[in-house]
Amino acid sequence: MVIINLAAATISKAQIADLYLGRSDARTPIDQPVGSEIYVEFYKKVTGRDSAQVKAIWSRILFTGSGVPPKQLRDSAAVKKAVAANPKAVGYIEKSAVDASIKVAVSID
Amino acid sequence: MVFKVTRAIAASMLALGTAMAHADATSDTIDKYVTFSGFGTLGVVRSDYGKADFVGNVIQPRGAGSNSWSANPDSDLGGQANFTLTDALSGVVQVLSRQDANGQFKPTLEWANLQYEINSDLKVRLGRMVLPTYERSDTQNVGYTLPWVRIPIEIAYMDAGLHSDGVDVLYRVKTGSVTQNLQVQLGRTAVDLPGVEFTSTPAAVVVFSDTLQYGDTSLRLVYQKYDGSGFPEVRLQVTGAGLTYDPGAWFVMGDSNYSQDKYFGALFAWYVSGGVRLGRFAPYAIYSTTRAQSVGTSGLKSLGNDHTVAAGVRWDFAKNLDTKLQLQRVVLDSLDDTASFADVGPGARVGDKTNVLSWTLDFVF
Repeated sequence: MVIINLAAATISKAQIADLYLGRSDARTPIDQPVGSEIYVEFYKKVTGRDSAQVKAIWSRILFTGSGVPPKQLRDSAAVKKAVAANPKAVGYIEKSAVDASIKVAVSID
Repeated sequence: MVFKVTRAIAASMLALGTAMAHADATSDTIDKYVTFSGFGTLGVVRSDYGKADFVGNVIQPRGAGSNSWSANPDSDLGGQANFTLTDALSGVVQVLSRQDANGQFKPTLEWANLQYEINSDLKVRLGRMVLPTYERSDTQNVGYTLPWVRIPIEIAYMDAGLHSDGVDVLYRVKTGSVTQNLQVQLGRTAVDLPGVEFTSTPAAVVVFSDTLQYGDTSLRLVYQKYDGSGFPEVRLQVTGAGLTYDPGAWFVMGDSNYSQDKYFGALFAWYVSGGVRLGRFAPYAIYSTTRAQSVGTSGLKSLGNDHTVAAGVRWDFAKNLDTKLQLQRVVLDSLDDTASFADVGPGARVGDKTNVLSWTLDFVF
């Protein structure tokens, strides 16, 4: 489930893909640990790409001094906390982890 | 003068970043101010052509001769430090070691700039930046970011994607679902012109580029003008257009540029490439060529002409690592400094066909 802050405007799947592939700076995307099951599933379903492809895209952005990859947090609890604290943050967590501190923008199935 | 400013920026960022890092003792906060990263490629190339050396980019003076493996064309190593000084101010310094015009692997400063974010759509940069001459020119040395072993050499023939010292402005405009990334850059650069003799010729450069992005499609338009008063005079204009469609499971892309120079004449270079992703394997194919269009004051009629058909496969076998194997057939259509080769010997003939096998291992850290 892609989550956003309770006060934030809604966001589409295409906009989420743009954020996580570095095509847009409109919000602050947050990652789970690289290579974790939820990370792999999220990128596959939202961007159609695997971990290596995502790494290559972010490496391009990093090594041209254009930006840095999304910050990686430890787990869904940490992601929820960060999203709840920042109106511009976007994150992804398991369906079972959803609670009232954040809201769901897009459900990934 | 601008080069001195770039050096000063690089030095002061390193000093400031290190000072800020020391001020906060825990490693958590060091990460906030400065992060280190790097990349590299180990590569070997073998060509069956005995009359010239196959090179990895147009400025290399020596490459793979016949029936021997050479690590010179593609091997490189780069290190980078990213600095976050405030929310809006950041900087980057990148050092690269790759075979240069003198055949040496001396480390050079590729990027060294300060970036100020006026808002999330508008940024200004001051210092050294690699020129966006053709698709991926700004990451041509980072093998891990490329689907192929190297950027098709023909597209880079008139300019080796060098850096410029100056200023640029980046502006992002969103109209519905189309995002335009506009760039204006002004600076001083050193141009490597065709022919081993004409390297590091200083010139002023102006760049205008617009990359239009719509989902997985992007169209890139760029115009560059170089002016230098050395010998030969540099009065060069490069106009480029490239299109990429990459939905992830497969890709197709093409790039082209038309270069016009007073001394060297006009050239048109282009390539098309496509590939698919099958699990961890990504096979691809490329057709690339460069063709002289008109003669400049040098009198050379067929500068750079060659064409290449290449096929290869990339294997992302482990985290942050990939390996590629690429086979290409290059046809020399000219003896006037043909794009893919250096050190062309007396036995070379127009129409000579050569087979080149390249193997690389790319890593990022």
